[in-house]
Amino acid sequence: MSQLVTGAGAVASVGEGVDEVFRALCAGISGLGELRGFDQERYRTRHAYEIDDRPAPGADLPGRATDWLLRAVGEAAAQAGLGEDLSEVPVLVGTGLRELRSAELAWRDGAPFDIGRLHFGTALRERFGAVRTHTFSGACSASLYALALAADLLTTGAEDTVVVAGVDTVTESMYGLLDRVNSEPPDRVRPFDRDRRGVLMGDGAAAVVLRREEPGAGTGALGRVRAVSMNCDARHVTAPDPQGIARAVHEAQWRAGVKPGDIDLVLLHGTGTQLNDAAEAAAIAEVFGTEVSGPLMTAIKCMTGHTSGGSGLLSLIVALESLASGRVPPTLGLAEPLPEAEAFRFVREEAREGGDLRVAQIDAFGFGGVNAVAIVERADR
Amino acid sequence: MTHGPGEVVITGVGLAVPGASTPDALLRRTACPVTGPDPEPFDTAARIGRRGHRYKDRATRLALCAALEALRDADLLPSDRESDSPAGGPSDSPSDRETVTVPGDTIGVVASSNLGNLDTACLTTTAIAERSAVDLSPMSLPNASSNVIASWVAIRHGLRGPNLMLCNGPTSGLDAVHWGAALVAAGRVRRVVVVGAETHNAVVEDLLGRSAGELLDGAAALVVEGARWAEARGARGVAALGQYERRAGLTGCVEALLPDAAAPGVWFTPERYTEGPAGGVPVPRAVPRYDVTGAVGRASGALGVLQCVAAVGWLARAAATSGAEPVEPVEPVEPDAGAGNGTAFGAGPGGARDPVPVSRQALITSGDDTADAVAGLLLRPTPDRSHPHPARAPLISMECSR
Repeated sequence: MSQLVTGAGAVASVGEGVDEVFRALCAGISGLGELRGFDQERYRTRHAYEIDDRPAPGADLPGRATDWLLRAVGEAAAQAGLGEDLSEVPVLVGTGLRELRSAELAWRDGAPFDIGRLHFGTALRERFGAVRTHTFSGACSASLYALALAADLLTTGAEDTVVVAGVDTVTESMYGLLDRVNSEPPDRVRPFDRDRRGVLMGDGAAAVVLRREEPGAGTGALGRVRAVSMNCDARHVTAPDPQGIARAVHEAQWRAGVKPGDIDLVLLHGTGTQLNDAAEAAAIAEVFGTEVSGPLMTAIKCMTGHTSGGSGLLSLIVALESLASGRVPPTLGLAEPLPEAEAFRFVREEAREGGDLRVAQIDAFGFGGVNAVAIVERADR
Repeated sequence: MTHGPGEVVITGVGLAVPGASTPDALLRRTACPVTGPDPEPFDTAARIGRRGHRYKDRATRLALCAALEALRDADLLPSDRESDSPAGGPSDSPSDRETVTVPGDTIGVVASSNLGNLDTACLTTTAIAERSAVDLSPMSLPNASSNVIASWVAIRHGLRGPNLMLCNGPTSGLDAVHWGAALVAAGRVRRVVVVGAETHNAVVEDLLGRSAGELLDGAAALVVEGARWAEARGARGVAALGQYERRAGLTGCVEALLPDAAAPGVWFTPERYTEGPAGGVPVPRAVPRYDVTGAVGRASGALGVLQCVAAVGWLARAAATSGAEPVEPVEPVEPDAGAGNGTAFGAGPGGARDPVPVSRQALITSGDDTADAVAGLLLRPTPDRSHPHPARAPLISMECSR
């Protein structure tokens, strides 16, 4: 059973609002910048994809992730005609790092922060009157996991409408620990390139309104969610497992009733790390087999950075926009693909007019081996 | 002896808290808080060994202990277990994980913790400010991600189903139980390990403004399972999950679960619940109330799971007592109970075929009117434990006079 996406919202380093974000990505505009939120001298890495809304360089304040989340949800709810009242609508939020950045500031600097706002329920209640709110901390696949749970609520008939969102801000602890483990600090995210050096984090939020599809209700919808898979590698706490990823991709396609040859576009997870890109490429190659050169492929983290828990849903919104417009944003910085991805039909350097795109696959994988893969379809408006 | 289609039952429970190792012990300790010196902190090494756990945070180790016990209790682990001898405890290498006896992709994990990895995030930030990122230990990286607890439970036991981590404030534990049941009801998996864990440390105490003595250092776990899958492998359900609600305010939540002021057999209250003025009481005063945080400390994201474990203890006592005294007269309805004889037809996942009187069910609530919402859940006896007589009267003898 499919669900309709009737509203979408996005906030990222490249822009505010779905239209602006998609236009920027298609124009090849990157949110990459010099590190502004933290003291540069304490890291080898000097770059990130930040939303530059702090009062002054180096001066950070609590609650920024919550603000972006509320803006993305507000945009999606307005577009779906829900207005500002979500008192009867479940809101499922996927995040990797919650408001941990605010906790860091409270602990280190004594910044004012109510620890009861580590999760997003309180802010969602204040702004939208929402009470059936759930904050899932599912690392970098969290928002697609939330989408899967929302789809289940609609499929089982428990709900008619669910808001799904994802959000993350760069925490100093995660930025610092990634800096520590990278052998050579990356200066940008280069998904699937042989010379990729690792991941850089990004700020951002994304939200969609998901509705059960009724006969004739498709008019005006942004697209359709056909199916979402979710599983766990259960192998390693940080490293991805190609087998687990392949199972997730296969299951998503099976649930959606599509074959690799039906997929026109793949929004890859593509973090630019050695391990993820090799594992993801191997898994995609395995599942797609002889069809692997069929779909267009791209990875937007080259322009948004790794927006962590929100990244899957941001990719999904971009996929829906691409299906609707036929335009696919490029994977910047991809000079020579890694061997496992040599046969992939990447969109490179500039956006591509993809023609008649109907079905897209979106990948999201996270620490702890949590994998989620969505299959979406164009809604004929 | 029949389950409703799609019914979800609890087939295993596990505890890793100081001073209570079984549901009955937890219930007892809750009913009659022990005075005197605090029990020793829970020794995780005694259950899961030391090897391979050096870099895991305390909340993760506690969660592993509770999850292990719940899986054992549910008969999902092989009987000859290496970790029975702490000295030879398992390490992180795949060869000596304690893999489950059913296919790993039939089991999911839903973990809940609000405070578990606060210390890693905050202490890492301090270390960077004092020195630089270069001096950090790379072994802290996994703990910087808030889902580390759910990840390790899956890795240790090879659980390849959906793997969720709830960090949802005061209701988080009960929400986790709900999502575990939802994964089963949606057919994603046949069974889910639900685990709630919290600990205290300098960071948690500072950010909460509370002392260590007030706070839980422990974990609780359940195995929730589709009744038909439990039956298929010969496992016994110790409780069936009923309706779940997340609503604004305690009264709103209780009313949604128990229309017409029906009186449950027992009420597991929110943390540090204090009775309001007459008329403002959401549950009839005659219903026994238990606050598990009185026994184990403020439990944050672990609360709902702990409450479910204690409720399993209550249901077992109710069944044992009513079974032993089959002629026990029906307890009259309390004067202020209104209509106390409502029945639940199981509006939870799938529902039950045979109605169980509300008076035989346990009401569990987490979160209060100061929280963003209140979550509530009903637990009822499984069919083979159902008994026509209410169990409230005998249980009152367990109450402390206070």
